[in-house]
Amino acid sequence: MVTPTSVRTVDLRSDTVTKPTESMRSAMAIAEVDDDVLGNDPTAMRLEKEMAEIAGKEAAMFVPSGTMANLISVLIHCDERGSEVILGDDSHIHIYENGGVSSLGGVHPRTVKNEEDGTMKIGSIEAAVRGPKGDLHHPVTKLICLENTQANRGGRCLPVEYIDKVGELAKKHGLKLHIDGARIFNASVALGVPVKRIVQAADSVSICLSKGIGAPVGSVIVGSKKFITKARWLRKTLGGGMRQIGVLCAAALVALNENVPKLGDDHKKAKILAEGLNRIERLRVNVAAVETNIIYVDIPEDPKFGAEDACKSLEDVGVLVLPQATFRIRIVLHHQISDVDVEYVLSCFEKMF
Amino acid sequence: MVTPTSVRTVDLRSDTVTKPTESMRSAMAIAEVDDDVLGSDPTAMRLEKEMAEIAGKEAAMFVPSGTMANLISVLIHCDERGSEVILGDDSHIHIYENGGVSSLGGVHPRTVKNEEDGTMEIGSIEAAVRGPKGDLHHPVTKLICLENTQANRGGRCLPVEYIDKVGELAKKHGLKLHIDGARIFNASVALGVPVKRIVQAADSVSICLSKGIGAPVGSVIVGSKKFITKARWMRKTLGGGMRQIGVLCAAALVALNENVPKLGDDHKKAKILAEGLNRIERLRVNVAAVESNIIYVDIPEDPKFGAEDACKSLKDVGVLVLPQATFRIRIVLHHQISDVDVEYVLSCFEKMF
Repeated sequence: MVTPTSVRTVDLRSDTVTKPTESMRSAMAIAEVDDDVLGNDPTAMRLEKEMAEIAGKEAAMFVPSGTMANLISVLIHCDERGSEVILGDDSHIHIYENGGVSSLGGVHPRTVKNEEDGTMKIGSIEAAVRGPKGDLHHPVTKLICLENTQANRGGRCLPVEYIDKVGELAKKHGLKLHIDGARIFNASVALGVPVKRIVQAADSVSICLSKGIGAPVGSVIVGSKKFITKARWLRKTLGGGMRQIGVLCAAALVALNENVPKLGDDHKKAKILAEGLNRIERLRVNVAAVETNIIYVDIPEDPKFGAEDACKSLEDVGVLVLPQATFRIRIVLHHQISDVDVEYVLSCFEKMF
Repeated sequence: MVTPTSVRTVDLRSDTVTKPTESMRSAMAIAEVDDDVLGSDPTAMRLEKEMAEIAGKEAAMFVPSGTMANLISVLIHCDERGSEVILGDDSHIHIYENGGVSSLGGVHPRTVKNEEDGTMEIGSIEAAVRGPKGDLHHPVTKLICLENTQANRGGRCLPVEYIDKVGELAKKHGLKLHIDGARIFNASVALGVPVKRIVQAADSVSICLSKGIGAPVGSVIVGSKKFITKARWMRKTLGGGMRQIGVLCAAALVALNENVPKLGDDHKKAKILAEGLNRIERLRVNVAAVESNIIYVDIPEDPKFGAEDACKSLKDVGVLVLPQATFRIRIVLHHQISDVDVEYVLSCFEKMF
């Protein structure tokens, strides 16, 4: 990477790149801690209590990552041998979590097509439910997973009414519903609906602390007390039982307090940047589909200069983005991106295309 | 729990209860961080480099816990379906890690008796190696695991010559050798041998940061570059891929610097306390077996007052210890236990027995 010293670095690879703020660092330095395996870390307890309240569930548990949050949730809901989970064919769990539900948990995935807006057709989900019960040919469907916001649809939001409908479907067939809510706070802000209302129909939700709200590490699983008790055992089995985690939870408490209100600004910046990029003649952005903090930019289909090449060239001028597809670039806004950064990024794209 | 305010609390439940020191908290507050999944966290890299050097291996990787360190190591060495691992029948992996190598990894355990000193007889290990190759009745032995210090033998140390011998046996049969070195620093100090010499024969080692050396969270796996590359993928799959872990690694770097030299004092305190307890007529301690920081105290075999009852009564006077068996109490020393604490604990036991 050739980055002249006068060039700023604007990191738009993901909202996971957010670094702890001064107030987080102070909170981490003075955090009250204890051994969260032998007993309970007091700061972790505070975070877990607050997250449970935010999500409207009985209990919550801190985990090292969203992957572990989803893995634990799927494995607990799918606790019998021969279980099957219904989820989107382009969902994060299915595409980016290394197939862990199968390799580690023995759970069989049954995918249903994710539509452009991130939803799966209700009829298609229902058709994927196995039956009749006890049929010798079929695994046992135990769980439906939704994702809000949908990562591989550029951060689009599932509407509350849709989630409620899927919840009814799940109940009708005796299934559980898990929501991968890695970016549920973004969904909440974009939809103007409280988190607890969005996830009302869900038995469990995974929520990231280290993405847009900017904590350094971790996610939280929310669910019933019974579910979280089982989750605690599985977390330990997976190796996620950490000791004085109050250090990390203290930063997360600051994040909840200070950065959730800022998410709307990320969405505004995303819209502004999306519109600016779409005005560049050779680029195309579906601005209407930019509902939260993620932008997909389609570049000309030149085999000599695809998305990977474009990303490398952008890196040379200090703009860090990731290729989403052969001729598609992904841009993720977060609270450590300023208005000036947005202007700079726009100017770089203007020069390049 | 009835604890008068004038009573001190002396937490001897484990060396995992150690809380971050002032210097750790400062280091955590100013730690240089980055996204350790998208790229590499710089402070994590510094820690991993230092741990690799300490252990004399090519590479190292930070993980949330010792359980994950062992789980990853076993699963990578036992990467083919039908693998078997030879380990002690009283080893931490077999007893306290929830059977994860089997439930998550499909690996079959073959236990060999742990002797009083923590070793397994070489002949017994060899007899447990499956053969002949390809026999239709047998799984495939891939790995031998040792543990140093041996938790369930009260922190006893495996001698270097023994480990070398097991290493030769492993090579002879084409097996890998993994050492659960959760307390390898204690072993190193007690044996007067550098860590890298102790683990020379091992293909991989797991080393805890959150035990005696006092970091708030984490362990490290060390091994070859190839091994660690696979470990990184496995860590992500298990959900241990965390983002700005420099916060935690900064504390660990302080721990390595400041607290490894203090382990010898923990061992001295353990000896003093062990001798004092053994002088109490109704108690029995095998003082010679107290090689590092763990003491087993055998109490009178009174069915009306077993180890659990004793631990509860000790808690009432502020002394936190754990029952190891029906009439055996476990005491673990660490650097946040003072000489005065030791005297207090002794006086509590004297009053009680």
